[in-house]
Amino acid sequence: MDNGNCQVYEEEIQSLEEEIKLLTEKYEDNQQESTFFSDEEILMSITSLQKEFQGESKGHESPSDLKAQLESLETDLSFLMKFTGIQLRSHSKKTVERTGNRTVQKHRLSGNCHSLSFQLEFHLLEMQNKESVSAVVTDLNIIMPSAEDSDMSKFVSRTEEHGNLLTFFRSLSTYAEWFEHRRCTFLHFK
Amino acid sequence: GVFAHLELLEAQAYKAAVKREEMEQQEEKLAGLRARVQELRLQRDDLRAKLDLQQKQEGVVSGPAQPSPRAVVEWKIKSVKSMLQVFYLTGISGKLTKRGVCFCISTAYEGTYLDSYHLDLLTKPEVQIYRHSVPIFIPLQQIAKKYLQTDIRRFLALLSDHLNAYVGRRYQADQLQEHFSDQIEGTLQRNSLCNLLVFNYNVSSTSKTFPFHARLLYRDLCCSLPTEVIVSCTLDAPAALAETAAAHMDLFRRMALHKAFLSFRSNAGESMD
Repeated sequence: MDNGNCQVYEEEIQSLEEEIKLLTEKYEDNQQESTFFSDEEILMSITSLQKEFQGESKGHESPSDLKAQLESLETDLSFLMKFTGIQLRSHSKKTVERTGNRTVQKHRLSGNCHSLSFQLEFHLLEMQNKESVSAVVTDLNIIMPSAEDSDMSKFVSRTEEHGNLLTFFRSLSTYAEWFEHRRCTFLHFK
Repeated sequence: GVFAHLELLEAQAYKAAVKREEMEQQEEKLAGLRARVQELRLQRDDLRAKLDLQQKQEGVVSGPAQPSPRAVVEWKIKSVKSMLQVFYLTGISGKLTKRGVCFCISTAYEGTYLDSYHLDLLTKPEVQIYRHSVPIFIPLQQIAKKYLQTDIRRFLALLSDHLNAYVGRRYQADQLQEHFSDQIEGTLQRNSLCNLLVFNYNVSSTSKTFPFHARLLYRDLCCSLPTEVIVSCTLDAPAALAETAAAHMDLFRRMALHKAFLSFRSNAGESMD
């Protein structure tokens, strides 16, 4: 009888702990996704964080650690944009579903590759299994104002149909270079 | 006698004491668990309330009116990390290292992202590959010899083509094995590069014979469609099957393997046993 009670409590504890984990993740997702701080606000925060260093240290990273982390991440990002030619201007994501080991997020991305600008929307489904996380893109929507010629728009709609986000980006830089080359050639002959 | 009686009483008292102690421990344990449940319920209800509040403030900058500088910086860190994750989806991502760059080439088949491969490069005195996770059957050294020093973007693009094509071929074979195993005799035979596939198959899943023999060769290592397809029938097969075999030869050259098999199902009316 007593053992039975124990088990009932223990089961409830486990289910509550899981629910709390999920709710916390949802709350933090919402916090992250619904706030926005400008570059000035961020610079100001870094400065004031360094000033208040005297008091803080227990369990948190020091302000200089945070600053270093942010700088390292921004350097990596700016390197990638320069190297690949893909300039990402804005990115937002919204968690649409979060259950157990499954997360679905809606992404909105805009940017350009050389003179070709693009706007994307897609759903990203991520599933956590034992050793890794799998990712699947669905509902891909691509807007490319400069894709006037039929070849490019055919390519864009085929890419959308199959959710070929990777192929889109891989082809984008090739196409952008060709497009740029063609544009320069036309200008030369004008 | 008296002693025996005393011993008996002592034993009974001892047993009673043990039982009492057990019951007390059990009570304590239950009380502890009950308290924990209460604590967690409060925590859970608190979170639910916070989430409700967030929903109501949708569209407005939520959170405390004056977020701490730490919170702002942490927000920015998460935001930059998100953008870096997006680069993973574009196929080439990476990070700078003390002595060079570590690139990550991601692969995908249509919308499904598959394996990613790392390439740790040193940039001085010249660009060289320090470490990598590229499989041995991908001609990495060949590609590097041609382009690594002169045009690193081309090097990565070509390597990415090879890796994506390999992963695409492997994905098709895996899908075939997983979803159409009752139409394949035994297991699909393939090499590590997945550019040679050999299997016997049938178009319907109810028949016990596999009259078709297929051999797919992918000579172009940057392509996930075969360059040569041979589909033949067993000698005692009816003539009508030869036509089907010819049609399949054409189909496998144009269409992904698992999609071709999917199309058999929709043409089920024409199949023969």
